[in-house]
Amino acid sequence: MSEPLAEATASVTGLVGDRAGDWDRSGLLPVELLRKLGAAGQLCTGVPTEYGGLGWDSRTSGEFTAHVGSLCSSLRSVMTSQGMAAWTVERLGDEAQRRALLPRLTSGELAAVGFSESQAGSDLSGIDTRITVDGDTVVVDGHKVWMTAAHYADLLIVFGRMGDGAAAVVVPARAPGVHVQRVADPLGCRAAGHAEVRLDSVRLPADSVLGGEGLSLPLLVTTALAYGRMSVAWGCVGILRACLAATTRHAASREQFGQPLARHQLVAKHLADLFVAEQVASRACEHASHRWDNGSPDMVVATILAKHVSAGHAARGAASAVQVMASAGAQDGHPVARAYRDAKLMEIIEGSNEMCELLLAQHALTSVEPT
Amino acid sequence: MTMPSEGTVEKELLDFLHVRTKTVWEEDTDLFAAGGLSSLFAMELVVHLEKSYGIAIRGADLRLDNFRTVTGMAALVRRLRAAAGDGGE
Repeated sequence: MSEPLAEATASVTGLVGDRAGDWDRSGLLPVELLRKLGAAGQLCTGVPTEYGGLGWDSRTSGEFTAHVGSLCSSLRSVMTSQGMAAWTVERLGDEAQRRALLPRLTSGELAAVGFSESQAGSDLSGIDTRITVDGDTVVVDGHKVWMTAAHYADLLIVFGRMGDGAAAVVVPARAPGVHVQRVADPLGCRAAGHAEVRLDSVRLPADSVLGGEGLSLPLLVTTALAYGRMSVAWGCVGILRACLAATTRHAASREQFGQPLARHQLVAKHLADLFVAEQVASRACEHASHRWDNGSPDMVVATILAKHVSAGHAARGAASAVQVMASAGAQDGHPVARAYRDAKLMEIIEGSNEMCELLLAQHALTSVEPT
Repeated sequence: MTMPSEGTVEKELLDFLHVRTKTVWEEDTDLFAAGGLSSLFAMELVVHLEKSYGIAIRGADLRLDNFRTVTGMAALVRRLRAAAGDGGE
């Protein structure tokens, strides 16, 4: 482990302490914690140093994301949102926008990214948010749902239709016409600040639009989501690591029928499954991050594979962990109880299991030899 | 940095597409027309072009029209390489 990564890991471990369970029960993260991590550049570690970031590669960022994910998936979700916001600015913005916005995202301001709408979930072609040019301003109208971290965010990056194509626009959360309402009692990542965001004739300077109008909606969304998928995949590795640690500790020490749980073969099978899950998910994420760091075109597919493999293993692994811990882990706030609920959401967010499978099948089909 | 000569980028892209899709494409075939390739594949093309030609495809250049044909991609590559050259490489 590199020294900056080891320092950041130790630091965030100390900052989270034993409070993740309380945050899960209250549904809120302390904002000062988010600002502190943000100001250290640790909510979006991939931002290049020339824009004030830490400039970590995908592999290093991934290991950090997994560590945070092992402590608290709500905090990791906020990191995913901030990282995806920064990545979107980096990829879609022009140089002036990168210079203006990225340093803000590494100095304590918080950001969220909005794709989904009530009629546009997996099928984002149904996006109905409108960005309309009016002189030297743009006007944004729309209604985003389940926008992770929006409850805490200073800046909202919103995808919508503009002209004949699509665009992403940077909306200050306090701009007139922006209404943010927290989703009550989400199943998992309960403190991640999911919110509905209503945009009623929000008027902004024209340079709030990243890159310009007429871009391809599928290409924009695919680009932005690629980062989110990588982050979620590593977060799921963290969930599995937390489950494996809690479960092995418990099974080695708790005795039933005169011997430790781990000596009972049916329990040992759960431990083996969890170990396999953690290892397989780690390898899939390492592979994808390696592709990112080499700029290899198959990073696109490797990312979806990593997300799909990791989320599925995390959901099944967390269920096994609750099974082994039984009453010792069956209470909200407990690491494996949180893992069980948080991991289930990971099979839905940033491309559901089924959407990932469709994309992977599509990929497999594009390389079929013609008959 | 030397500029690839006229036609080199096109040939290299046709080879890449052939290897990746097991299909022979023409320089002016619309890759994303009905029955063609996906937006996921468009992103693969973005990454491939960036890696192969040392360019950054950002913001306003992320329109599907730039990736629709081999001819269009080659033009994008030459434009961005020329712009990078002007920047004092």
